[in-house]
Amino acid sequence: MESQIISIITFLPLLGAAALLLHGIFWGSRGVEKARLDEQYRWITLFFTIATFAVSLATLGYFDQSQAGPQMVMRTPWITTLGVNYFVGIDGISIWLVILTTFIMPISVLASWRVTKRVREYMIFMLVLETGMLGVFVSLDMFLFYLFFEITLIPMYFLIGVWGGERRIYAAIKFFLYTVVGSLLMLVAIIALYFLNGATSFDIIEITANISSGRLTISHNVQLWLWLAFALAFCIKVPLWPLHTWLPDAHVEAPTAGSIILAGVLLKMGTYGLMRFNLPMFPEVSRDMAPVMMTLAVIGIIYGALVAMVQPDMKKLVAYSSVSHLGFVVLGIFAFTEQSLQGALYQMLNHGISTGALFYCVGVVYERRHTREIADYGGIATPMPGYSTVFLIVALSSLGLPLLNGFIGEFLILIGAFSSSVPYAKTFAVIGALGVILSAVYLLWMLQRVLFGEVQKEENAKLQDLDWREKAGLLPLVAMAIIMGVMPMLFLRATQPAVNAVKDAVETRIIRAAK
Amino acid sequence: MEFADLNISYSAIAPEIITSLTGVAIMLIDAFSKQGARRTNALVAIIGFGLTLAALAGLWTGTWTPFGGDYFSGMVVVDHMRLIFSFIIVIVGILAVLLAGQFLKDEELPAGEFFSLVMFASAGMLMMASAGDLVMVFLGLETTSIATYILAGYRKYDVRANESSLKYFLLGSFATAFLLYGIALVYGATGTTNIVGIQKAIASGAINYPPLLLIGAAMMLVGFGFKIASAPFHLWTPDVYEGAPTLVTAFMATGPKAAVFAAFLRVFAVGFSSPTTGVGETLQETWVSVLAVIAVLTMTIGNVVALTQKNIKRMLAYSSIAHAGYALVGFVTGDFGPVAFYLLAYAVMNIGAFAVIQMLARPGDRKTEISDYAGVGFETPLLSFSLAIFLLSLAGIPPTGGFIAKFFVFRSAWESTPGLRWLVIVAVINSIISIYYYLYPIIVMFFRPLPAGFSKPKVGAGVTAVLVLTLAGVFFLGLMPDRVLGALNQGRGAARVAIQEAFR
Repeated sequence: MESQIISIITFLPLLGAAALLLHGIFWGSRGVEKARLDEQYRWITLFFTIATFAVSLATLGYFDQSQAGPQMVMRTPWITTLGVNYFVGIDGISIWLVILTTFIMPISVLASWRVTKRVREYMIFMLVLETGMLGVFVSLDMFLFYLFFEITLIPMYFLIGVWGGERRIYAAIKFFLYTVVGSLLMLVAIIALYFLNGATSFDIIEITANISSGRLTISHNVQLWLWLAFALAFCIKVPLWPLHTWLPDAHVEAPTAGSIILAGVLLKMGTYGLMRFNLPMFPEVSRDMAPVMMTLAVIGIIYGALVAMVQPDMKKLVAYSSVSHLGFVVLGIFAFTEQSLQGALYQMLNHGISTGALFYCVGVVYERRHTREIADYGGIATPMPGYSTVFLIVALSSLGLPLLNGFIGEFLILIGAFSSSVPYAKTFAVIGALGVILSAVYLLWMLQRVLFGEVQKEENAKLQDLDWREKAGLLPLVAMAIIMGVMPMLFLRATQPAVNAVKDAVETRIIRAAK
Repeated sequence: MEFADLNISYSAIAPEIITSLTGVAIMLIDAFSKQGARRTNALVAIIGFGLTLAALAGLWTGTWTPFGGDYFSGMVVVDHMRLIFSFIIVIVGILAVLLAGQFLKDEELPAGEFFSLVMFASAGMLMMASAGDLVMVFLGLETTSIATYILAGYRKYDVRANESSLKYFLLGSFATAFLLYGIALVYGATGTTNIVGIQKAIASGAINYPPLLLIGAAMMLVGFGFKIASAPFHLWTPDVYEGAPTLVTAFMATGPKAAVFAAFLRVFAVGFSSPTTGVGETLQETWVSVLAVIAVLTMTIGNVVALTQKNIKRMLAYSSIAHAGYALVGFVTGDFGPVAFYLLAYAVMNIGAFAVIQMLARPGDRKTEISDYAGVGFETPLLSFSLAIFLLSLAGIPPTGGFIAKFFVFRSAWESTPGLRWLVIVAVINSIISIYYYLYPIIVMFFRPLPAGFSKPKVGAGVTAVLVLTLAGVFFLGLMPDRVLGALNQGRGAARVAIQEAFR
């Protein structure tokens, strides 16, 4: 069981997709009315996503918090002629990201309850997407990783393109092309790394170990190119300024659940990749490039916040806030201290919870009023008190109020960056801290304009408060925001050994290089 | 020469014999049945291909003839490379026959000739794959070409098909002439038409007049380059592919291309690979670098021009050019494995795509503009999702066969020699370009609204079978390629060794 559990988690959603497909084939043609069928599709999907979440929680029981290496691994030859193994497992870096994914998915399904267009296909794409995302986080073979990295594109492309807003075609194609450009160059780097390592396997753990033990030495020049190829793929995904332009389009045009998943999980594939590949595999180059990356991250923090501030559209505002928040994560990753790396990892989870919830909140009022313009709202706290409370907590967690999750992550990142030995790290930390203030400005200002004051428009006066389904979706997010804000060690203890291993990989190599 | 030296073995050419005889049998059945016996003929063709497969399997296991030998005084060889390409050819043939039933019925075209032409074309292709001698290459090429010229113009009252057929005939003959002239010059230089004999002659330095060899090889390169539609010899392709019936386009773009690649590989990677002596070294270095340049041109021109196409058949024609370019990247590594795998994957996904287009385009190929497919996505889910999968596979997105094929080619090219690594980068950039136009039909099908007056095409059993087979093939090659790759690895024989050493 221990070695199969990861595969079960990864492929359970795919099984759900197959179930929907068969259900449609058998029952779709029997004259059952569409509304009833659609309802069944939703429940089946919800069942499979919750089941996946339940199984993923079981990994916590097997997980040994004192170990840095991958656990619950399964390794079997897959394409032997190409040296590819089916190799999956989780470590401290990936465990919470896996659980985040399985946690966000049922919520996204609940957020999609009012989708009425082609429900079956929609749900199938959602489930395939879940398998792809989980696969990215659990793969310990570069080939497998690439495979899942690319597979996530297709369902997301359809979700945006078919169920999205007005400019969905443009947004979908931009999303696809941007990501593919990066990932194909990463493929070349993967092939090159495979041959450099003696053409035996694509094993991430083995290659990382060979590099940090000095058994595999790559000339600095080659390292730089490989690092750039990987970094490009991941920075597009993050997205790091100036590669972020696909993100606002994709977010604004995607359906609510698409935005939740995009912000909640897909972007983390980028920051996860930086931590899994760039840092431990190319420590010297990572070190050399750290000031550059931190500069871009800080620009992203400030730029994202400033652009978010002037958005008249709520969804776009939240989208730009993502650019700003992910900047913090990159800042933390390239500060190479234990706190900053822990903080970066924690901030990935926070961002998934908080920004996912923000998109959910925007989606709730959009479903009622079919507009996302801030100016169209005002004073909706009066008709929707429950909603307003939730929105408020979520926004406060996103802007980093103490006792809520965002604070812990940003605090750790800034402390870590302050004590970092990377040149100019202190300056970056100070400028980055400004971003925290700016995020308070744009979020609170939005809340003020949307929630508080007198009801300006007649349509807003009789808006319905949250129904049971929306509560079921939002309350777990709020609960997590509070739990993660109050008891961070519950989560950080599991990540510590793996994060330290990454940090050590960078440090030891740099010390060796200096000698 | 003694009669015994000929080394006659009928089992060594059993696949060719069976296919040709089936073609004859179909003609006879057609002549003696009252009204074109479409079903019977299709069945006979399938049985013929089935027996051919059995014969190939027999050769593979070595039950009838010892493996690795040559027969008919070096005219025919039995080795892995031949058999693997023969398998591809037969698979293409079977898929074409399955597709043809509905095409012939919908358009009320005579069935007998069609099936027998497919059989004869396949026989010619099989001959090319098994050729150990330039004369045999030429024979196979001509047999294939003449049959496909007629197939391209099979809709004889359709002006576009006439244009297609005539263009194909004129340019094809031109290319054949080049090839033949090249063969003559190479014969003049080396004194033999046997491919291994040529290699030996070059290796021993017994060349009558070295420039003759180089000119001859260049002319053969041009001839083969025409036939595989590589740039700058690709100009005939879009018109021919657009005008021919969709099914024939699918057939031409996959089967004959694979067969020509087989002969091309054998002549160049075996015949012209003798790195030891002066002229041999020059020859080898030259053709490898020329092919590398041709590969770059072919990929880039194919992909860039495909971006601007509005007609899906023309788009896939340019895509076919681009794919020949990727296969050429595998070619310059000197290993037939990546090329064969690439062509197999290409055949499966391309025929699948054309099968969907044949259905969506309706009889007479009336709807081949990409904009004709607006909104059909969810109306005909089987067809449109299949087409989407085939297009994504052509674009090289995992977990499809197209991805593994590209991966295998890139990997081999990266491995073979540092001097050719830039080719991989160019190929990757090309893949990125190609994604844009492969996504376009998906956008049109799924993201655009459906215009009024759409009626679902009726998908018959044959086409359904093709879709099921090709979809299964795309995912089989994408997820479980080990069996096929293992077979290819087994055959990394003489063809590879010589050239690999040359690079090191």
